[in-house]
Amino acid sequence: MSGKTIVMTSGKGGVGKTTATANVGTGLALRSNRVVVIDTDIGLRNLDVVMGLENRIVFDLVDVVEERCRIEQALIRDKHAGELYLIAAAQTRDKDCVSEQQLIDLCRRLEEDFDYVVVDCPAGIEQGFRNAIAAAREALIVTTPEVSAIRDADRIIGLLHPSDIRHARVIINRIKPEMVRQGDMMSADDVLEMLGVEAVGLVPSDDRVITSTNNGTPVVYDATSPSGREFVRIAARLDGEHIPMVEPEEERPDSIMDRVRFLMGMNRRTSANV
Amino acid sequence: MSTHTQMIDAQNTIDGPAAIKVSTRGALINFEVDDSVPIEAACRELREHLGRFRELYAGGEVLVDVGRRMLFDEQQLRIRKVIESESGLSVRQFWCEPAILEAERQRIGDMLAQQSAITGYVPRSDEPAIASNPDEPDDGPTAGSVDDHVPADAAVEPEPDGPMAGVLKVGGLAADGERVGVPALVVRGTCRAGEVLRLPGSAVILGNVNPGAQIIAVGDILVFGALRGLAHAGAEGDATATIVAMSAANPILRIAGYNWDAEEWGDIESQISAGRRGQGHNGGITASVRNRAVQVSPYQKNHGINHGGNPNER
Repeated sequence: MSGKTIVMTSGKGGVGKTTATANVGTGLALRSNRVVVIDTDIGLRNLDVVMGLENRIVFDLVDVVEERCRIEQALIRDKHAGELYLIAAAQTRDKDCVSEQQLIDLCRRLEEDFDYVVVDCPAGIEQGFRNAIAAAREALIVTTPEVSAIRDADRIIGLLHPSDIRHARVIINRIKPEMVRQGDMMSADDVLEMLGVEAVGLVPSDDRVITSTNNGTPVVYDATSPSGREFVRIAARLDGEHIPMVEPEEERPDSIMDRVRFLMGMNRRTSANV
Repeated sequence: MSTHTQMIDAQNTIDGPAAIKVSTRGALINFEVDDSVPIEAACRELREHLGRFRELYAGGEVLVDVGRRMLFDEQQLRIRKVIESESGLSVRQFWCEPAILEAERQRIGDMLAQQSAITGYVPRSDEPAIASNPDEPDDGPTAGSVDDHVPADAAVEPEPDGPMAGVLKVGGLAADGERVGVPALVVRGTCRAGEVLRLPGSAVILGNVNPGAQIIAVGDILVFGALRGLAHAGAEGDATATIVAMSAANPILRIAGYNWDAEEWGDIESQISAGRRGQGHNGGITASVRNRAVQVSPYQKNHGINHGGNPNER
C-alpha cells in the first residue's frame, strides 16, 4: 500500500487546525480508508483531547523517534471509527527534539501501511512547522475569513514553495453566512481570490464544534451539523470524489419544535432574516 | 570578525573547493556556489568544506550567492540545509544573479557612474538582484534593509534642464523628454506575505502583490494584478520612477525617498469606484512624484500614464 501524507497547517493559531485534522482524519476513516493522524505540536498537544483519546496514550511521537518504542506501540486506535489511529505529541518536551528527517522517515514507513497520514502542524513558522511539512506531499491550509488569518495563510503558501509539497488547497473555516451577506465578513470568493489557491472545503461557523470538541467526538459524526456535513464532503474530495463547492447558507431550523416556531414566526433568528 | 574571515579567505585560495567560493561582505561571510556544478556535487563540496573548517564556522551569518539557479528553488533549500546542519552558520539571505541581470547591472552601474561624475550622485552598485528566501522570517534585517536602500539624499528631485541635461538617466527622461526605460525583469506569479523581491531594473509582476509582500525596484514597477503590498520604485533615488497597478487595495507606495500617505487610500478608492460607474477607470492606479510628494491617481485608459517626469507639469 502506498499512502499519502497530508499536512494541516495555517500559520496563525486558533483557526481550527486541530479540529479540522480530527474531522478530516475521521471523515477519511469513515470512508473505509486506513488513516493515521500525527500531532506534531510537541509540548502543546491537543489532538488527543479533541479525539477523546487522552487517557489511552502510553507512547508518543518523541518515544517513536527516539526509538523507545516501536511505531505500532504508539498507534492509538480511535474509539469510534474503525481504521483510525493517532500518534500523540509529547507533552513534556519541545519541538526541537524531533528533526525533519525523523518525521520524513516515520511518515514514509506509515505510508506503507496506511492510505492517509494526516499531520497536524503547530502554529508558527519555526522548527515545528518545518518538521510538519517536511514529509508531506500535499498541504491543506486552514484559514478563517479574517485578514490576520489570511495574511498568515498567504505567508505559509509562500513558505511551502521551496518544499516538496506540490499541491496546496485551502479550507476556509468559521464562515458566517449572515455576516457575509451583510458585507461584514469576507466571502469565500474574496479569500480564494487573495490566496490564489483552490478550496477543498468551506466550513460554516458552528457552535456544535465546541460541544463535540469538549466531548471528544469529532463533529463529522453529527449529521445535523452543517460543519460536520462539510467535513464529510472534504474527506470525499480528498478521496478524489468530485463534489461541487457550496457556499455555506444561513442555517434553517431543523427540529420539529423549531419548524413549528418557524411557521409561527416565533424563531427570532429566522424571522429577523426574512 | 574581519581577521576571522581573512583566515577563511587565505585557506580557501590554497585548497578551496572548486564549486564554492568564499569571500566576505562587510561582517558577513559570502559563499558563492558555482551554478554550473550539479547541485549534488555542490552540496557534497560544501559539506566537505564546512567539515574541514568546522571551528571557523562555529557561528554567525552567511550570504549565499547561488548564481543562475532559480529564485525560490528547492535547490536553495538543500544548500541551506547543508550549511545549517554542517556548521553553526545561519543563512541570512540567498542571492540570485541571473547572467542577464548581472550584465544589466553593469550597464546601469556604468551609466550611473557617468551621471555621478556630473551630479555627485553615487549609486549603490553593490546591490545585485536579491530574492530573499521565503524561508526567512521577515523581521529585522530584511525590513530594515528597505530603508538602507534609499540613499539619504534620494529626496533630491532631478531637474530636467539642470546639470543633467544631455545625460541619459536610468528609468527616467533623456534631455528631450523621451523616456528611457530600464530593462525589466518579469516575475510570473503571486508575491506573497513575507517575500521580498529586489530588482536592479524595473519590475513587471504578472500576478498579485499580496499584503506583507515587498517589491523594491531601481526602476518602475508594473503590476498586472492586484497591488496590496509594498511597492518601492526608484529605490536608488530615481524620483521619475512610476508605479502602475491594474488594481489595488490598501497598497504601500514609495518612490525614491518619498513615502505616500496611505491614509489617502480612502479617497483614491472612492474615485476609482466613482470612475467605474462612468466607465472611465478600470480599477487600477498610477503613482508618481509630483510637487515633491507621491501622487496617486486612478489609472485612466485614455490618458495613459503620467510618468511624473513631464517637464511641462513640474
